[in-house]
Amino acid sequence: MPTAIYTPRVNNNDDTVRLAAVLVAIGSHIRAGDPIVDVETDKATFTVESSTEGYLLGVTGKPGDTLQVGSVLGWIGATADEPIAAEPIAPAPAEESGAEPTLKAILLLKAHGLRISDVPHTGRLTASDVERYAAGRGRSSADLAAGEKWAAPATPGHIEPFTAEQKGMARTVAWHRDEAVAGYIELAYDPQPWDAYAAEFQKTHGLLLSPLLPLVACRLAKLAAETPRINATAVAGGAYLYRQVNLGFTVQAGSSLYLVSLRDAAAMSEAAFVRELGDLQRAAMKHSLKAEQAAGVTVAFTSMARWKVVRHIPILAPQTSLMVAHSATVDGVAYLGASYDHRLLTGFDVAQVLQTLSTPVSIN
Amino acid sequence: MAQTSRQQIHAKVVELARQLGRDASRLSFDEEIPAAGLLDSAAIMELILWFEDENGIAIPQEHLTLANLGTIDAMSAYVERAGRGSS
Repeated sequence: MPTAIYTPRVNNNDDTVRLAAVLVAIGSHIRAGDPIVDVETDKATFTVESSTEGYLLGVTGKPGDTLQVGSVLGWIGATADEPIAAEPIAPAPAEESGAEPTLKAILLLKAHGLRISDVPHTGRLTASDVERYAAGRGRSSADLAAGEKWAAPATPGHIEPFTAEQKGMARTVAWHRDEAVAGYIELAYDPQPWDAYAAEFQKTHGLLLSPLLPLVACRLAKLAAETPRINATAVAGGAYLYRQVNLGFTVQAGSSLYLVSLRDAAAMSEAAFVRELGDLQRAAMKHSLKAEQAAGVTVAFTSMARWKVVRHIPILAPQTSLMVAHSATVDGVAYLGASYDHRLLTGFDVAQVLQTLSTPVSIN
Repeated sequence: MAQTSRQQIHAKVVELARQLGRDASRLSFDEEIPAAGLLDSAAIMELILWFEDENGIAIPQEHLTLANLGTIDAMSAYVERAGRGSS
């Protein structure tokens, strides 16, 4: 009995794909993992690989044809002349799919060396199902991002294992790369009003440390509460709007970079925000953050002004749609930039946020 | 635990300023550290963490004021009060 190859889902919103190219001649011997065909949508191209060793008996359609997701795409037989089942092309059997996996789930299955039937799930198999199952076996996509997906170099050397923080960064970068559709824009602004506002605030409260960055971050938290789509993430069903604002703020502590999470930040007064964020910064610099103090970020802020960096493109924190980048002032001009998930926000949306953020407004 | 001297605090300020490419050797004990512009907020935070560690004290966030810790003299006085249990 030949083994069927099913048409994968490439985008969440597309129920069909186009057959872009057949990469193997019919009748050729193929091994598990060999590329067979390319399928595409308007947004992405995906190479379908063989799940087994055998001979490619046939492919449904020709390049340019539209195929239904979940339909049989082709057949692999034990011999080159094995007959293909005569029945009409049918959707993937329930045992193997339930509903067809997401593209991300397919990639993770392959990365972990799993089959669909290995992973418990209800309905459509998602990346989260695979992650959860793999994590239960002591492996995560961060491990993969940190090692298994990377080929060993040919030049002699040795492996220095990642620290926990480096694994965290690998997870963040992998999310930015694999999940977000990241864009970046920046805005030139006059930093003098913010500098004056922060200086006055510092004087009024007798603060030892400049409150400039915390105050800008506080303004961002308030904006996030007023503009739900910048306090959100994209999920299969649409935009997931967070109920509260957990403001992420980067803290460099020696060679470690933390993203501390100030929970329910939009509900705080400026003074409380500055004080609470200060506590988190000190905990980070002592490397003594509790797990919840570095988790659950919904929108984020970072600054590299300290190092005289005039522009930098932040990596989006997992499951956020916006991270604002504050930079150094040069000749009286500064830049506010932002990385954003283009699935949820347009450049226009983000430009408006940055424009608003570039000027202080007393919020107490 | 022995309290850090003004000279030790001064030496730490000089060390932190040097990391930022600045010379703090002429900073006087009664000069406001933030206003001198030799250390940025992150460096002042490092100074405070070092100060806590050296003296075995934990400074509450609300004590991070210019009056309490804004100068080397003020820092020295703060740790003396902490030693008497009246900071």
